[in-house]
Amino acid sequence: MSEPFKTAALMKELMAKYYDLGEESRRKGIPVVWVTAVFPVEIIYAMDLYPYYPENFGALASARKVADKLSMAAEAKGYFNDLCGYARCGIGDAYSLEHPVGKILSPDLLLCCNTQCGSLPKWFEAAGRFYNKPYFLWDSPMIEDETSDIKQNYLIKQLYELIDFLEITTKRRFDINKLQEVVALSSQATALWNDCLEMAALKPAPFGFFDACIHMAPIVVWRGRQEAVDYYRQLKAELEARLEKKIYAIPNERHKVYFDHIPVWPRLRWFADMFAANDTLVAASQYTHAWAMNFDPARPLETLAEHYPHQFVNRGVDYRLKLKMDFMRHYNCDGFILFSNRSCKPNSIGLYDKKRMLTEMTGLPGLVFEGDMSDLRFFSEGQIKTLFETYFEQLV
Amino acid sequence: MAIKELLNRFNAVVTDPYSEARSRKEQGQKVIGWLPTDVPEELIHAAGAFPVGSLGSCSKIRLADTHLQVWVCSLMRGSLEMGLRGDLDFLDGLIIPQTCDTTRAMVGIWRQTSLIPYIDSFMMPKQVKRSSAREYLIGELTRLKSNLEKVTGNLITNESLGTSIKLFNENRQLLRRMFEIHADHPGLISSREVYTVIKAAMYMDKVKHNGILQDLIQAMKQKAARSIDKSNPKVRLVISGGVWEPPEIMDLIEEAGGVVVGDDMLTGMRYLSPDADEKRDPLEALADRQLNKIPFAGFDNQNYERRRFLHNLVRHTEAAGLIFLHLKFCEPENYDYNDMREALNSAGIPNLRLETEVGNPSLGQIRTRLEAFIEMIGGDPIE
Ligand code: SF4
Ligand code: SF4
Repeated sequence: MSEPFKTAALMKELMAKYYDLGEESRRKGIPVVWVTAVFPVEIIYAMDLYPYYPENFGALASARKVADKLSMAAEAKGYFNDLCGYARCGIGDAYSLEHPVGKILSPDLLLCCNTQCGSLPKWFEAAGRFYNKPYFLWDSPMIEDETSDIKQNYLIKQLYELIDFLEITTKRRFDINKLQEVVALSSQATALWNDCLEMAALKPAPFGFFDACIHMAPIVVWRGRQEAVDYYRQLKAELEARLEKKIYAIPNERHKVYFDHIPVWPRLRWFADMFAANDTLVAASQYTHAWAMNFDPARPLETLAEHYPHQFVNRGVDYRLKLKMDFMRHYNCDGFILFSNRSCKPNSIGLYDKKRMLTEMTGLPGLVFEGDMSDLRFFSEGQIKTLFETYFEQLV
Repeated sequence: MAIKELLNRFNAVVTDPYSEARSRKEQGQKVIGWLPTDVPEELIHAAGAFPVGSLGSCSKIRLADTHLQVWVCSLMRGSLEMGLRGDLDFLDGLIIPQTCDTTRAMVGIWRQTSLIPYIDSFMMPKQVKRSSAREYLIGELTRLKSNLEKVTGNLITNESLGTSIKLFNENRQLLRRMFEIHADHPGLISSREVYTVIKAAMYMDKVKHNGILQDLIQAMKQKAARSIDKSNPKVRLVISGGVWEPPEIMDLIEEAGGVVVGDDMLTGMRYLSPDADEKRDPLEALADRQLNKIPFAGFDNQNYERRRFLHNLVRHTEAAGLIFLHLKFCEPENYDYNDMREALNSAGIPNLRLETEVGNPSLGQIRTRLEAFIEMIGGDPIE
């Protein structure tokens, strides 16, 4: 990871503001709406509701190394430890008397899009029953080959159903002009985020995947608001200044690799150090790029329905292979790392076949490692270290 | 024919499940397989092809291990194993219903590893209550229909689809009839036999299945009329989950003094209810049939439906308790489990969760737990 950023202070401020806004919304009776990370939050901001991200709570608990504790509270209820770690953290916290990272904010409404996975709807359904609050699923059928008008109409029609649902449950009016403004802000922020990610293509680069993991919080929670635009404008300026001063993400960049997935949150620093020690920059990941969307504010509902449900994880194997290869080519990678994350089955099942195919198609060395993004009970440090040591020798 | 002989015919099918499909293939008919259990077989049949289930029940899983991590459910693992072994090479197509994150990855893996020329997903809507779901589902069925027409070279007309729907409805009605007789007179045939008849329907030609099933129902009725003592000492149970695998689990339930009188299984009630409306446009009828199926973990059941459904099922079947047969690593079931258990507990319905694996017949511990559970809720049936 790079030396501390000046924007770190702003990040801290923004995140504190985000959490304060949640408390304030609760006090003022503004509905707290649970949303999933890849959800058209623009609609929520356009209706002046407060979006809360339970996955973010899970990532925070994971990074603070308490996912296992929270998970055990869920396990005591009969949830097994093979479920997504974020869900286990969220469910565990609901049942737990101790709240090591603060209490998860309870919802007034729950909105879910299943483009990411089938875990989120099941978790949100259970949470809807637990908190006894209304739940809405924006159902996004998988796109095995190509998308179709039938699917696109279904997605759009459901957005109208969603708006009806929100107007009825919150007694607020939805205003399409307001949505247009929010989508425009989202679009600016996602473009700036993309610019930051792009800098990892330079050699040597001032920014890499592990930095992106730290700096992605605002694009997730503030997307659609001026705050996100301001943040990434500053981050971009700082990265440009660093380039001039020759401050790079790692001291001695010799190689670049592509990393397929969510990081192992409780070991983020450990991984970052290991890669840096081997002069290897993790340059890109489909994960951090998931929020580098390119909306068209002129067609606000359509553009949301075109981007969110078409995320890689909802696509067939050919698309997903091509995406990985495009990243590797664009970022000039010398190899690739695939994280078989037992928490996240939709991203992990099939990785062994993908590794073989990617190597066949690109000639680049690849590595699959097993672990869990949240829970250190499923992380064997020694084994992974050995695996990576052998891998680094293959990078030439 | 005696009950035993009729049952033997179903048993023979389940022991050698693909002999019918293979001989169809040899006669030049196309054969399209499906994974459990929501794929609309009527569409396959109406295209002139033979629909056959691939239920993943295979022992000794080895080849699939290089493709699937250890934490992938044994249902998908088992059917992939059969594919990798070449057991399903005779298929002209395979349709995988999208129920969870595991199935989401399977189409890609199957396409990479198998010789089957046509491999497709059936992408059901995951919410079933809003009007958008029905419209989308009709579209999805239309897509499937035209793919099947391409694969078979036959047009699916309203007429042919209507005829298929009739045939499959008849099969479902007969299966439900058999099940009712069994639930009223447990002991005429065993739980395993009841479910074997259902499973056989997934492998057999429906005309043939209907024929034998009619005889079986006749024979069961006669035997029921003859038996003077209606009381049955067995403890009535409902089972809930995906598949009743390994099949020996049914024997264990009976040996421990139980009998299964209701379920919400993929290879049980979910397969045989409800019917498709024969008076409607056939595609719409198939869509409605899908949307009106009993609740299932793979779908939105926020409105407490599944909990209410299970509660009602136990009451309605006069069962003394419920056993969850959950496949290890099945995420959708596990997300529902706590709430279902709590609903049953608060209704005073004893329940037990057993974790099972397709293809893993080591059942010692399960036997002990079943015995303890059934003894607890039913007392000693011999007394
Ligand atoms: S980590 Fe994977 S399984 Fe968990 S919520 Fe995210 S996409 Fe879903
Ligand atoms: S629903 Fe459960 S049993 Fe079925 S494929 Fe998914 S994980 Fe396996």
